[in-house]
Formats: sequence, structure tokens, C-alpha cells
Amino acid sequence: MSVEDLPITRDRPPPGLPLLGWTGLRRFPAVPQVVTMELVGLNQTLTQLGLPIEPLFTLELVLAEVLNNVVEHAYEDRGEGMIELAIAVRDHAIHCEVLDHGTPMPNGCLPPKRRYDLDATGMQDLPEGGFGWGLIRDMTRGLCYAREAGANRLRFRVDLDG
Amino acid sequence: MEIVMEAKGPIALLHVMPDRIDASVAIQFKDRFRDLVRDWAGPVVLDLQNVVFLDSSGLGAVVAARKLLGEGRQLELSGLTPAVEKVMRLTRMNAVFPIHDTVAEALQAHGVAPAA
Repeated sequence: MSVEDLPITRDRPPPGLPLLGWTGLRRFPAVPQVVTMELVGLNQTLTQLGLPIEPLFTLELVLAEVLNNVVEHAYEDRGEGMIELAIAVRDHAIHCEVLDHGTPMPNGCLPPKRRYDLDATGMQDLPEGGFGWGLIRDMTRGLCYAREAGANRLRFRVDLDG
Repeated sequence: MEIVMEAKGPIALLHVMPDRIDASVAIQFKDRFRDLVRDWAGPVVLDLQNVVFLDSSGLGAVVAARKLLGEGRQLELSGLTPAVEKVMRLTRMNAVFPIHDTVAEALQAHGVAPAA
């Protein structure tokens, strides 16, 4: 038996139905408690589809940061306004699109990752926020933002195989 | 937010009971933490073994808790689950807090026998 005859083994799940075409669309109010419920529900759904745990954690964290930004900044914590979240699992990635009708991003573009020199930072000056865009930029691919017809549209993907 | 405090010699051991510290509960976490440590003079160990999800708002609340204790009292973390550890590492906040694998290790580091 030659090497070519051996079965191919893969570290990632074999291409199958769950990775090919699942899509989901959710529309919910921009309220922190609702965002938490949506994230927990989505995680359960995608876990049941058989997606691996590591990219699902990444997805949950990225979505938490993105959705919290919509709640706090686009809708300025007013407790009103709706968020639309579209998810598609295909091509070994989780593709996301988040739509809101709140305030545009400052200067019409995505905020940069903030850098902190923690070694030179005194304890009382440690940052309590501003981590969000760094985490989003570090953990997503294909991040893109557009302001279209009074709506903010953010697209990105989380790869399933790292 | 349900946080249970246990006095272990000089250490205040704070067990976070919910499985998430996120934007929807960050303020409650800070308020409860402040109430619990108000009259405590020694180091505080925050037991996070139940917490499977921490976002940047939750992390901000933990940093705020650290500042609340001031220079005189330590805040140490124990029992980080993989997701919490990842957030701490990506934000480099793992360099700010002493981190112990388990509550027992945290207590031993202060010379307290873990058995009650």
C-alpha cells in the first residue's frame, strides 16, 4: 500500500452540511440584556450545528463587542432602536452582518485599535474601556463598515479553521 | 449580582456565581464588589471559575474593582476558564493581575491552608 492509498485525515471537521449553508437572521432591540440573550441563544444554536468551540467563543466575544458598541454609541444607550444580525456559515467561516439605524461612526470610518503602554501606566490610570475595537480587529477577517441610506452596516467573518 | 464572600484568614475570597460578566451586568458587578470589600483591609481573591464569558465591559468592571481597592490592597484572580484567559491575554490585562490556577493555590500563596 502506498502513501497515496491511505485515507486522508483532517484536523478540522470534514466538509459537511453544517459548514455549508446555515443562515440566521435576528432582529432585536438595542438593550444590553437582550443582546446577552441573543448571544447565548446563537451560541447554543451554532453549538448544536456541530461548530467547534474555539471559533464560537471568538464569535461570541466579537459580537458582544460589536453589539455593545451599537447599544452604547450608535443608539447612545437610549434603550430604543433595533439591531439586525445576519449570520451565514459557509466556506469554513462564520459570516456576519450587523445593521443599525443609529448615529454614524465618528468620521465615517472604523475606530482604530487603542494602544496602551501598561508598563508605564499607574494602577489608578489603568484603562476600564476602549478594548473593544482592538478585540474586534484582532479576531475577525474582512472587517468592513459602510453608512448606507441612514444605516450602519458592519461586515466581518470569523474563520472556522483558525 | 450574586457574589459570595468567604473570609480566609487575611484573605477575602469572592466567588462570582453567575457564568457571565458582560455589559448587561458590569455595573451590578462593580456595585456588589464595592459593598463586599468596604470593610475589608486585606488582599482580595476573585474566584472566576464559574465565569465562562467575559467581554470588554466585564473586563472594565474587574479593572474598576482593582482601582477601588487602591494601592494598599491586592486584587488577585483565580480559576480563569479558557475564554476568560483569552480575553485577559489579548488585552494584556493578564500582566496587571496576579493569576492563580485555583482558589487553593491563591490561598497557599498567602500562607493560608485551603482546607477550612
